[in-house]
Amino acid sequence: MDTRTAITELIHRSGLIMDERDFKGYLDLCAPDYQYRITAYSPEIRKDMTWLEHDKAGMKSLFENLHRHNSDKSPISRHINVCLVDIDEAAEEASVTSTIEVFRTTLDGGETELFAVGKLYDTVTLGHDGPALRSRNVRLDTRLLGYGYHIPF
Amino acid sequence: MSRNAVEWKQTPSFPESHYVDTRIYTEEDIFLDEQRKIFNKCWIIACHESEIPNAYDYRTFSHPGGPPLIVIRGEDMKVRTFYNICPHRGNTLLYEPVGNAKRITCIFHAWSFNATGDCIDISRGKEGYQDRFGCKDAGLREVKTELGFGGFVWVNVDDESCTLKEYIGEAMGMLDEHLDQPLEVFHYHKAIVNTNYKLWHDTNSEFYHDYMHYFNRITGMIQPGYFDRKYTGYPNGHASVGSMAIKYDAYEGSKARGVGWPGLAPGGWVLIDIFPGMTYNLRTSVLRMDTAIPLGPNKLLIEFRGLGLKSDTPEQRAERIRDHNMIWGPFGRNLHEDLLGVHGQGLAMRERTDSRWVIHGREENMTIHDEGGMRHFYAEWSRRMGRKAYDPYGEQAVAAK
Repeated sequence: MDTRTAITELIHRSGLIMDERDFKGYLDLCAPDYQYRITAYSPEIRKDMTWLEHDKAGMKSLFENLHRHNSDKSPISRHINVCLVDIDEAAEEASVTSTIEVFRTTLDGGETELFAVGKLYDTVTLGHDGPALRSRNVRLDTRLLGYGYHIPF
Repeated sequence: MSRNAVEWKQTPSFPESHYVDTRIYTEEDIFLDEQRKIFNKCWIIACHESEIPNAYDYRTFSHPGGPPLIVIRGEDMKVRTFYNICPHRGNTLLYEPVGNAKRITCIFHAWSFNATGDCIDISRGKEGYQDRFGCKDAGLREVKTELGFGGFVWVNVDDESCTLKEYIGEAMGMLDEHLDQPLEVFHYHKAIVNTNYKLWHDTNSEFYHDYMHYFNRITGMIQPGYFDRKYTGYPNGHASVGSMAIKYDAYEGSKARGVGWPGLAPGGWVLIDIFPGMTYNLRTSVLRMDTAIPLGPNKLLIEFRGLGLKSDTPEQRAERIRDHNMIWGPFGRNLHEDLLGVHGQGLAMRERTDSRWVIHGREENMTIHDEGGMRHFYAEWSRRMGRKAYDPYGEQAVAAK
């Protein structure tokens, strides 16, 4: 498999595996120095905002605590479209830009609604073991998320 | 033992102040009455001064009583508020949530206004109105505006209202000393939930629901001092809850807060509910402000703001943001749970679901699991509405005769 295809598959896999709530599987796709963020711009306060930020250990403890919380059980579906893959061979790294739409399917009857749209800005490290996620910024266009969600997009 | 239909509808065996009729959450006529008698009479937070820092900066605000508003800082740096309605043909003047407008020009017929609400141009005015109507007759409708209590911009659409200071009274006493430095909003988001605004304010007014929050159970409920926190009621329906020390590092993946707040003890937590739907929530390093804007009896928009000190270093601000997001962002541990709670109430209390009563009957010497904060709110609600929260249509009173 060529590098570009492997990177594209990694990004898509990261969404599919989170849809399955396979949190260990997701962390296995991440490099040890992984950094995750959800950000958005607020025109109301004219500022960029960070809505969630964790390193790999933080993501792990977030996932491990989830079952202790009262959460919306509605499944969500992340639809990712990888748009740009910019490979830096010398740095063994790639910058990837994808669009993401998140759909939520209600528990009572299975009605599906659009939950959020935005972009993924990923950095992928390229090593002998194949590509791994080094950082992800989920940049949301949608800022009205109703009663919210406990699981990162 | 389960109950049959008659038993289900039977008046609860509590004092009348200890339960309410669920129709106060669902009926359109009661909601319209609330807009007239409560929201259009009370002081309401429209935004924070840091959202309009420069001359001519404006912020639009949908007032819960109905009128759309413009909050704008003038050349003299004074903040004023006007209806966002052109006096000519009733069009919206400003559409964007924020902006900077030295001159507010209606897109419809190009009538223009300045930041003090004066009409400064009527296109082809002389030709059309001759001397029958001119700029002096076409100023914007100004709304009473005051800044206070942490730099928030408060508005009151009732020209005859008391001052903001009189309205708040002593209710902010527990926070006053912590709000004397300039603040800045670093987080803003809003949520629309199918529920009644009072149910959201109820949730902010009681801590019995800490059973819902794993984070609060671990870092608060099982820690020393939790059950010593006391509710205090104030005139006009406001209430406060005393502080305690939160043990943040008791939650796996969390840690003790490094950045505190001026005058607040480490791990401190003070909460003040302002009638009819605003809550100051100062928790160790972050001030969270909720503003409830009802869109209908069972539809609520809530604005959430997270504030730090304007003097924060980048490192301090980054830490406040992390502290905030851990529990209060749209993906935070606690806020999602609170909103799920009132969403569930909205589902159950829809019209025709046969929901009948909500009980506020817990008495624990006005400590943290007492439901006295809500009882205090509904006493004020009943006074302003001229309706009893437990008997909003006077049926019990008629039956008693």
